[in-house]
Amino acid sequence: MQKYSDYRTEDFLHDNDFIAWLSRPDKKSDEFWNRIIKEYPDKKANIEEARLIFRLLYGREETMGVSESVALWQKIRRKTAFSRRDLFIRTIKYAAVLILVFFSGGLCYYFYQTQGVHETSFEIAEAGQVYEDKEAKIILSDGSEVSLEPRVSQITYSANGKQLIVNNDTVVQASNSRPEQMNRIIIPYGKKSMIVLSDGTKVWLNAGSQLVYPSMFKAKVRQVMLIGEAYFDVAKDPEHPFQVKTSDVNVEVHGTKFDVLAYPEDKEIQAVLEEGHVSLRYTGKNLLSRDRIYDMQPNQMIVLKKESGDARSQIVDVSKYVAWKSGMLEIETEDLIRVIKQVERYYNIRIKLADPMIGGYKISGKLDLKNEPEDVLNIIGLTVPIDWQKNSNGEFVVFKK
Amino acid sequence: MFPTDVLQMAFVCIMLMHILIFKSYKFEITELITKTMFSQVSPSDERILWKRFLDGDDHVLSIIYMQHVNKLYDYGCKICPDKNLVKDCIQEVFCVLIRNRKNLSETDNIRLYLLKALKRKLIREMTIQNASSKISVENNFSFLIEYPERTLFDDMGFSEALQEKLHEALLQLTDRQKEAIYLRFNKGLGYQEISELLNLNYQSSRALVHRAIEKLRELLSEVKENIFQLLFMLFHPSDAL
Repeated sequence: MQKYSDYRTEDFLHDNDFIAWLSRPDKKSDEFWNRIIKEYPDKKANIEEARLIFRLLYGREETMGVSESVALWQKIRRKTAFSRRDLFIRTIKYAAVLILVFFSGGLCYYFYQTQGVHETSFEIAEAGQVYEDKEAKIILSDGSEVSLEPRVSQITYSANGKQLIVNNDTVVQASNSRPEQMNRIIIPYGKKSMIVLSDGTKVWLNAGSQLVYPSMFKAKVRQVMLIGEAYFDVAKDPEHPFQVKTSDVNVEVHGTKFDVLAYPEDKEIQAVLEEGHVSLRYTGKNLLSRDRIYDMQPNQMIVLKKESGDARSQIVDVSKYVAWKSGMLEIETEDLIRVIKQVERYYNIRIKLADPMIGGYKISGKLDLKNEPEDVLNIIGLTVPIDWQKNSNGEFVVFKK
Repeated sequence: MFPTDVLQMAFVCIMLMHILIFKSYKFEITELITKTMFSQVSPSDERILWKRFLDGDDHVLSIIYMQHVNKLYDYGCKICPDKNLVKDCIQEVFCVLIRNRKNLSETDNIRLYLLKALKRKLIREMTIQNASSKISVENNFSFLIEYPERTLFDDMGFSEALQEKLHEALLQLTDRQKEAIYLRFNKGLGYQEISELLNLNYQSSRALVHRAIEKLRELLSEVKENIFQLLFMLFHPSDAL
C-alpha cells in the first residue's frame, strides 16, 4: 500500500493489480482502489489520467458468441473422437487380415488334404518303427489292425474299397470309414506281401517295406506312398495317373510295370522299368532346389542319389531286378555288400563283414531265397572265396576264406 | 486336426476384438461419469485443472476451452484477418492438446500456453499461405487492432486539434507496440508473459508500452485542467446522463 504514495501515472499502468482492476473490476478491487484514492488524495489525478490512457489504448475486441464457440468445441470433440475410432478401425483391419490369412491357409490345407494324400501322414508313416516290428500288419483307416500271418501274404481290395480279402479271409471295413482314407501296410524284414488295390493295381512289397494307400482311389491322381522296395503292376487308367511317392522321388505313371527301391537307410533310390512309361520327379529336401524330372524307357534302370538328385541310368535285364517277388534273387556282377544287404532284409537277419574289403567282390548268379539263410550264404561261398559262422546272438559273420 | 487349430486362432482373434470394443465403451462410460461428477467440483487453481487434463480427464479440457476460447479468438483476429483460419487454428491447438496429452508438460499458466500455441500455429499457417512473398510472417505481420473512434473523443469534449493529435499518435504506434499494449491492457498480461510472446526481454517489452504511455501523457497534459470532468463522463456515462 505504501508503495503507491510515490507512484506516477505510468507506474500505475505498469502495475498488474491496477490493470486487473481496470479490465475486470469487481467489488473487492473497487473497494481497494477507492481506499487508495482516499488515503493518497494527491494520487487521484494520476489514477484518473492512467484510466484515461488505458481507455484510449484499450482496443476493440472480437468475440465469438456462445453458440459459435460451442459449435467449435463440438467440432474438436468430433475430430479427436474420430482419431480414436480411426485407431479402432485400424486394429480391426489388422485383425481381419490376420483372420483371413489363417482361414485361407486352413482352407487351402483342407482342400489339399481331401484332394491328394495327406503329407503329414506320410511323414508319420516314414517315422514309424517298422524295423522293430516283427509282425506284418495292415493298419486300416479306422485304426484297427489286421495282422498278416504267413511269411508271404496276399491281400485283395474290392473295387468299392469296402472289403478286403487277406489270404482268402474276408475283412470288411467299418461302414463309417471313409474309403478315401489311408490304409497302411507294414511288412517287416523277413516277410513279403502281394496286395491288389481297389483299382486292380498289383503291388509286391519286399521285406522291410511300408505302403500307404487309400481303400479306394477317389482323387484325380491315384497316389500311394512307399518306403522300401515294391514292384508295381499298375492298372491302366489314362484319366487317373498313378503316382508313387517316396521320401525324395515321385514316380508318375500311367499303365505300367516297374520296381522302386527306396529304403530309408540307403543313400540311393533305384527304379527299374519293365513296361510302359514312367517319369521320376526328384522333389528334394531343400525348399530352394528345383524339381528334376527323369523320363524312363522300358528296361532302363535309374539310380538316383537322394542327397543331390544326380542320377545314372543303364539298360538292364529287368527280370534280375524283379525276381525277388517270386522268391528268387538274380545277380549280375553285383558287389557282395549289396547282395548281403538284400539277404539281410529278406530274412531279417544281421550279417557282418569281418573284412570290409570282401564287400567289393563281384558276384553273379541266381539265389533261391525260399531256402534257409545258411543255404544262401553257402551258395554265395561257391562263387566267391568267403566263409561264414553264426554268433551266439544270432548274427552271421562273413569272412575271407 | 489342422482345421480346429484354425478355428482356435479365429476364436482368439474374435476375443481380442471384443476386448478392444469393450475397452472403447468403457472409455465413454468413465468419461460420462467424470462429467457428471466434475460438474459439482470447480477447482480455481489452473495447475489442478491442467493436471487433471493430463491425467486423462477430457471434461476438464472443455472447461479450459470455455475459459479461454474468446481470448484466443480475439488475439487470433488481431494477428490474422481470416477469421475462419483463426477458428481452424484454435481447433487444431485443442486437437493437438488432446492427441499429445501424454507428451505435455505441467504448467500453471494455461492462458500463456494457449496464446503461444495459437500464435505459433497461426504464423505457421500464414507463412504457408504467403509462401510466394518470401517474407517471413514472423515479426512482420500487422497487428490489426482498432482504437476508440474519433466520435468518442468528440463526446469527451476534446478540442479538434487534440483529437487530431491523439489519433495521429495512435496511428504512429508500431505493430510490435500495438501487440504489447494489447496484451498488457486488453489481456492484462504481465511483462514477463508479454516478453515470451514477443520473443523479447523483459525490459524491451516494458519499454514498448512505456513509450506509448509517455506520448499520450504529453498530449493530454494540455487539457489536464478538464480531465476530471472528462473522465467522469468517460467511465460513468450513465451517471452523466
